[in-house]
Amino acid sequence: MNDPALRAVHLTKRYGRVTALDDLSLDVPAGEVFGFLGPNGAGKSTTIRMLLGLARPTSGRAWIFGTDATDVARAHRLLAYVPADVALWPHLTGAEILHLQASTGPGTDLAYRDELVERFALDTAKPARTYSTGNRQKVALVAAFATRAPLLVLDEPTSGLDPLMEREFRTAVRQARDRGQTVFLSSHQLDEVEAVCDRVAILRAGQLVEIASMEQLRGLRRAEVTVSYTGAPPPGLGEVPGVESVEQVGEGRLRFSLVGAPAPALRALAAADVRALAIREPSLEEIFLDYYGTAAGR
Amino acid sequence: MTTARGLSVPAAPGRAITGLALRQLRRTGLIVLGLTAAMPALVATTYDSVMADPAAADGIARLAGNPAIRTLFGEPVALDRAGGFTVWRVGTFVAVLLAAWAILATTRITRGEEDAGRWDVLLASRVPLPEVAARHLAAVMIVPVAAGGAVAAVLLLAGTEPAGAVVHGAGIGLLGLFFVAVAGLAAQVFPVRASATGAAVAVLGGGLLARMIGDGLTELGWLRWLSPFGLLALTEPYARNDVLPLLVLLAVAVVLGGAAIVAAGHRDVRGGLVAAAAGRRSRLVLLGSVEAFAVRRVLRPLTGWALGVGAYYLLIGFTTLSVTDFLTDNPAFAAEAARAGFTALGAVEGFTATLFALLALPVGGFTAVRMSAFVAAETGRQLTLSAAQPVSRFRLLAAEVAAATGGAVVLVTVAGLAVWAGIAATGGGLTLLAALAGAWNTLPIVLLSLGAATCATGWTPRAAGVAGSMPATGGFLLLVIADSVGAPAWVRELSPFAHLAPVPLAGVDWSVALAMTGLAVALATAGVAGYRRRDLHG
Repeated sequence: MNDPALRAVHLTKRYGRVTALDDLSLDVPAGEVFGFLGPNGAGKSTTIRMLLGLARPTSGRAWIFGTDATDVARAHRLLAYVPADVALWPHLTGAEILHLQASTGPGTDLAYRDELVERFALDTAKPARTYSTGNRQKVALVAAFATRAPLLVLDEPTSGLDPLMEREFRTAVRQARDRGQTVFLSSHQLDEVEAVCDRVAILRAGQLVEIASMEQLRGLRRAEVTVSYTGAPPPGLGEVPGVESVEQVGEGRLRFSLVGAPAPALRALAAADVRALAIREPSLEEIFLDYYGTAAGR
Repeated sequence: MTTARGLSVPAAPGRAITGLALRQLRRTGLIVLGLTAAMPALVATTYDSVMADPAAADGIARLAGNPAIRTLFGEPVALDRAGGFTVWRVGTFVAVLLAAWAILATTRITRGEEDAGRWDVLLASRVPLPEVAARHLAAVMIVPVAAGGAVAAVLLLAGTEPAGAVVHGAGIGLLGLFFVAVAGLAAQVFPVRASATGAAVAVLGGGLLARMIGDGLTELGWLRWLSPFGLLALTEPYARNDVLPLLVLLAVAVVLGGAAIVAAGHRDVRGGLVAAAAGRRSRLVLLGSVEAFAVRRVLRPLTGWALGVGAYYLLIGFTTLSVTDFLTDNPAFAAEAARAGFTALGAVEGFTATLFALLALPVGGFTAVRMSAFVAAETGRQLTLSAAQPVSRFRLLAAEVAAATGGAVVLVTVAGLAVWAGIAATGGGLTLLAALAGAWNTLPIVLLSLGAATCATGWTPRAAGVAGSMPATGGFLLLVIADSVGAPAWVRELSPFAHLAPVPLAGVDWSVALAMTGLAVALATAGVAGYRRRDLHG
């Protein structure tokens, strides 16, 4: 299949006068683990509901492997979905729900499903009404990961999971990628996105503000450089392009932030007797806060 | 001592809880209040025109001697007065309506809200569980109290005797309070809303049955003391105006309500006095497709409905011969029954045809409830996982409509079989085919209900239940009201019941049946079209 796993073109959703999603266009190539970030209310779930045909776009279109997303009977043969807030039929047991999902789904690897039930330590004999948030999420995750659907759409799938289960989740995502499945992961867990995603889109107030690979994101953003030196400080560092907020953090120690290619800064540093040099790349959290810091009102 | 600026510490957090409960009740509460006041008002004010002939009043009063009439319509008391006639004609109906609302509303806003997890936040406040439960029960109780007051008021305004009006109004109100208390206690005992509602509805059905048997068989008349409906009948408004049964009803309601609040203090939040099963063996039958799963979800409620409908129509079957023999022997009474709205009751076929027509009410209600449950699963997001499967919207909705249709066919068939079995057991001669034809004859109205509910599911999902109740319950009420006030013919003919042939007395009117079915299909098709286009909620 040469079609992208997921394509949205000018996708827009308005609820009355409120624009929940404004002109979103993106492609997710097959085989990629794609992170979808944004604060609460940015339009992430609205986007996913339109990609799944649960909500109709006000304008624009979406395709799943070239199939119109509104043709759910065909498009959903190619995907599995974990909703943000999993609600299950309260009177069915976990095993019954997994059976229902497998019987009506796009094809399920039953042996792998049993393995996932073990790994996620899910007690499938209990009726769903007795499940905690995390256990409900596990049922949906097991059902989705056990499918051989080429696209997995996961909407904040780990918000209720404990750290052990979070680790199992990351393993399952990697195994899915190794099998060639595409993963579309909407999440608030930035370390999780950083750990598993190849590319990230950042949404704010219904608009796409960034879409880039993790490396590009880091390159676009400032790195923090700490230099230890003997004798005189490196001269003229403040004028070097890309270098900002140079500060003396101790005797013989400087810290500055660096945006873009490091070569000019390194040439400037060569003039001093540098003993140690540490470059810390920004975490996704810092990048994220850079985008939203002012909007969040901190 | 420092005071934080802007820190809001409400003096009475409990009042906010009462406010919350009232918000959840006001819509349906006002509808029920309106109906309980309007129906006695209509009958009482039109009494004079119906009973203008003095022989008529005398004739109907003598119907009291027949056990079957007493069983089915309640013991007729003081039919020679507008108040007594009103109590006989609509008293039981109003009582059942109010009781059913009280049960559904109570379990919905208590156990239902708790089940959905919405009480977790509420109970993290300063208000303890027994107080939350008590405030919710008190909020529901406002409606029966108001309804009782309204019934008394309209009967007084219609010029009936004050004592009878007050006794009947108090009885209706107390009966409502009793069922709020029963449902409130059931909501503390059972950890699941459906079980709590089921237990309380069983008390309602059992109470109604005990009253019917107690009314019908003089030697078992004491059974009425065990039934809230029986106690209501024992007050004999406009005749003896006995207050003792009301005091018994009040005492029982107070004890049950108190028990509910005590029970609330002895259980876990989201738990009941009866523990929910922690685990069970999985049953994978009927989980293979969305269609099979729709059937699976309908089976358990269908069993409950079938038991209720079956029991009622079996009782009708048992009493049919007794009623028709009595009416055949007393043609004057048959004429009176016809004046009261029951035609051709003298023949088995005529009597059963009249009662089969009523079948459209519960079965139409069943289809409306099924579609409401489907909408509730959508807004409750249980449907989301199914909607994300490779299943078209058409299949999702069609599976539900098909399961509801199948359930409706089962229910009417059960009713037909029950009537046939009851008549056969008492030595009557209605053929099985005639009984089934009479029952199946109501299916077009049932399908209209389902069609209207499906149409609403597609376009205005919140209204699915109300829309589904329109053709059957709404149509029946329209006919009764139109007949009572002498409305123009075209108003009467808006009701599907005005067009229903009296099967098995007459043959099926196929043109009417096909027209109604066609309209039902058109409504359902419109619903599917809307459902395919709209956003799913939740």
